[in-house]
Amino acid sequence: MSKYVLAINPGSTSTKVAVFEADKLIYEKSIDHAREQLDSFKTITDQYELRKNFILEWLNEINVNINELSAIVGRGGLLRPMPGGTYVVSEPMIQDLKIGYQGEHASNLGGVIAQAIAEMADVKGYIVDPVAVDEFDDVARISGMPEIVRKSLGHALNIKAVGHSVALELGKHFDEVNLIIAHLGGGISVAPVRKGRILDYNNANEMGPFSPERTGGLPVGELINLCYSGKYTYSEMKTKLRGKGGLTAYLGTNDAREVEKMVISGDNYAKLVFEAMSYQIAKEIGAMATVLNGEIDAIVLTAGMAHSKFVTEFVTSMVEFIAPVILRPGGNEMAALNAGVQRVLKGKEEAKIYENEVKLN
Amino acid sequence: MNEVYRVLAINPGSTSTKIAVFDNEDLVFERVLRHTYDEIGKYKTICHQFAFRENVITESVKEAGVELKTLSAIVGRGGLLKPITGGTYSVNGRMLEDLKVGLSGEHASNLGGILAYEIASELNIPSFIVDPVVVDEMNDIARISGMPDIERKSIFHALNQKAIGRKAAHDLGKPYRGSNLVVVHLGGGISVGAHEDGRIIDVNNGLDGEGPFTPERTGGLPTGDLVRLCYSGKYTLNEMKKKVVGQGGLVAYLNTNDGREVSKMVKEGDERAELVYKAMAYQVAKEIGSCATVLKGKVDAIVLTGGIAYDEMFTGWIKERVSFIAQVLIYPGEDEMIALAEGALRVLSGEEEAKIYL
Repeated sequence: MSKYVLAINPGSTSTKVAVFEADKLIYEKSIDHAREQLDSFKTITDQYELRKNFILEWLNEINVNINELSAIVGRGGLLRPMPGGTYVVSEPMIQDLKIGYQGEHASNLGGVIAQAIAEMADVKGYIVDPVAVDEFDDVARISGMPEIVRKSLGHALNIKAVGHSVALELGKHFDEVNLIIAHLGGGISVAPVRKGRILDYNNANEMGPFSPERTGGLPVGELINLCYSGKYTYSEMKTKLRGKGGLTAYLGTNDAREVEKMVISGDNYAKLVFEAMSYQIAKEIGAMATVLNGEIDAIVLTAGMAHSKFVTEFVTSMVEFIAPVILRPGGNEMAALNAGVQRVLKGKEEAKIYENEVKLN
Repeated sequence: MNEVYRVLAINPGSTSTKIAVFDNEDLVFERVLRHTYDEIGKYKTICHQFAFRENVITESVKEAGVELKTLSAIVGRGGLLKPITGGTYSVNGRMLEDLKVGLSGEHASNLGGILAYEIASELNIPSFIVDPVVVDEMNDIARISGMPDIERKSIFHALNQKAIGRKAAHDLGKPYRGSNLVVVHLGGGISVGAHEDGRIIDVNNGLDGEGPFTPERTGGLPTGDLVRLCYSGKYTLNEMKKKVVGQGGLVAYLNTNDGREVSKMVKEGDERAELVYKAMAYQVAKEIGSCATVLKGKVDAIVLTGGIAYDEMFTGWIKERVSFIAQVLIYPGEDEMIALAEGALRVLSGEEEAKIYL
């Protein structure tokens, strides 16, 4: 009897897999791939067979028969800009995933592998809220310099999953509430969400608050000076912005728990920096509140740093005048993928069809 | 009974000097003295122009029928001094030195304090500067950017921000020092300041690249895309700087830096102009929202000022988005001369003590 949902989330050097029964996680594993093995393929798409076989082997190991699967869901990839939701994998989608419409990325494999296993099991393959989700109003796309368009890039999967569950808690449907959802991870996304639609983002953390590893927005004039100073190559500058920015640059660690310990042990500099990050998060939430004209049911803090009492209390003190603050620490992509499919399987939502939602030509 | 103080205000620009005389808040006369390039181009530095400008000023005051000896004080636009807290400062030796050296850069406004002092000392009356560009009351937490190489700085329209902040507080029936305001200067540059009890504890660097885009500046930009442009080899440093300040914002999208012009295009049905102009209002509103959190939502009023605040369509778009925070007050335009005079008058009348530049 088919009762399980298989979720597949390919990362650059691993593939995370999980089996769910309704909302309950039954099995989970992160399959690590040897670098040399992956490097032997020309493109990421070519890794498809290898990763698929690992997953089938794992299903064998845990004694899950392919006929016990009622649906397969993969992490969506860099498709065309599209509205959020749960999508049934279709041929035009597969084509865009294989070419990497907006770039090569391991997550492109999610939908492709899901579909392949789904065909074996004679069920449907899905993807949920991929990185390519774009629901911006046009007004949010204008940056101030025509060469640069503000982009809808953020943690859509977790943000939407958390939005659905918070709405439920408020006794409403996701498309009946207005929320500001701040995903506080290694990168930070702050999204104003109106009736289920993400209207704006701090642009993949290229704007807004600094985070454990990213600088967020910076004063433009001085950034330009640094770029032209001759001190840094292009790739060094990029690393300074992403990877080596934010907490890492000031305090030598990207681990917020570590920083919180430094603060508790009396390190005043660490305290100032940690407060400054929280301060910038709160400011971004305030900015996004105006996108919703202040009509907001709740502000939600989610992902790893929503565990930090220090961060959440600091932010809450600055933004609670806008709306009640709800904490949803953690944030699990596997559970989010499953939740998206469960909504469809339970008939709460209809699966979207890629070619109906985007312009193919 | 109220005494009448007569104040001469001096505001030097790069090719002109604005002067005005006030009897208390009443304008006696105002002149813009234009200097040709031949007149000022021969001086090595801006400070060397001082004797020339002093002469032109004193002559013009006399011509206007005001006797110099009837003046109670002279106030000049402050220059690029060390970062200082806002307020009215007596011009002293240390300040003169810093203005002459151009401590934080050469700028015509450096002459303001020097001219005020030189003319005043001959008349034996006090000289002041008021809320110069270097006013810095930012909390330390606001100085951290996210990259240790770059510190957030307090560079903005301090004089108008402070003057309008005081005016709004007055109209609300509260002392400025007891008010929380978000003040928005909407000019060629746009600054949004969080005023807490009379201190501007956070403000976007409106000069080169934070906050909303403006008629000719980009404001903040996505950093990754910006860095890519810098390394693309397509632009020199100078070209990039111009793209950000001077050729950014409205002028880049619509070929005009004149808000009135854009407003007209919108009213005539130009959809692109409408989208871009609305985007500017959208970004201004977002910056106001940020400043509101800095004040933890305890905001007595949001105050819009500067030239674009005349445009009711534009201010209407902002109001829609921010009215949930606090009432919105609008003081269109900008009057630096009365702002300077008022700063001097507060000291002359004993309402405030002049600060000492250290």
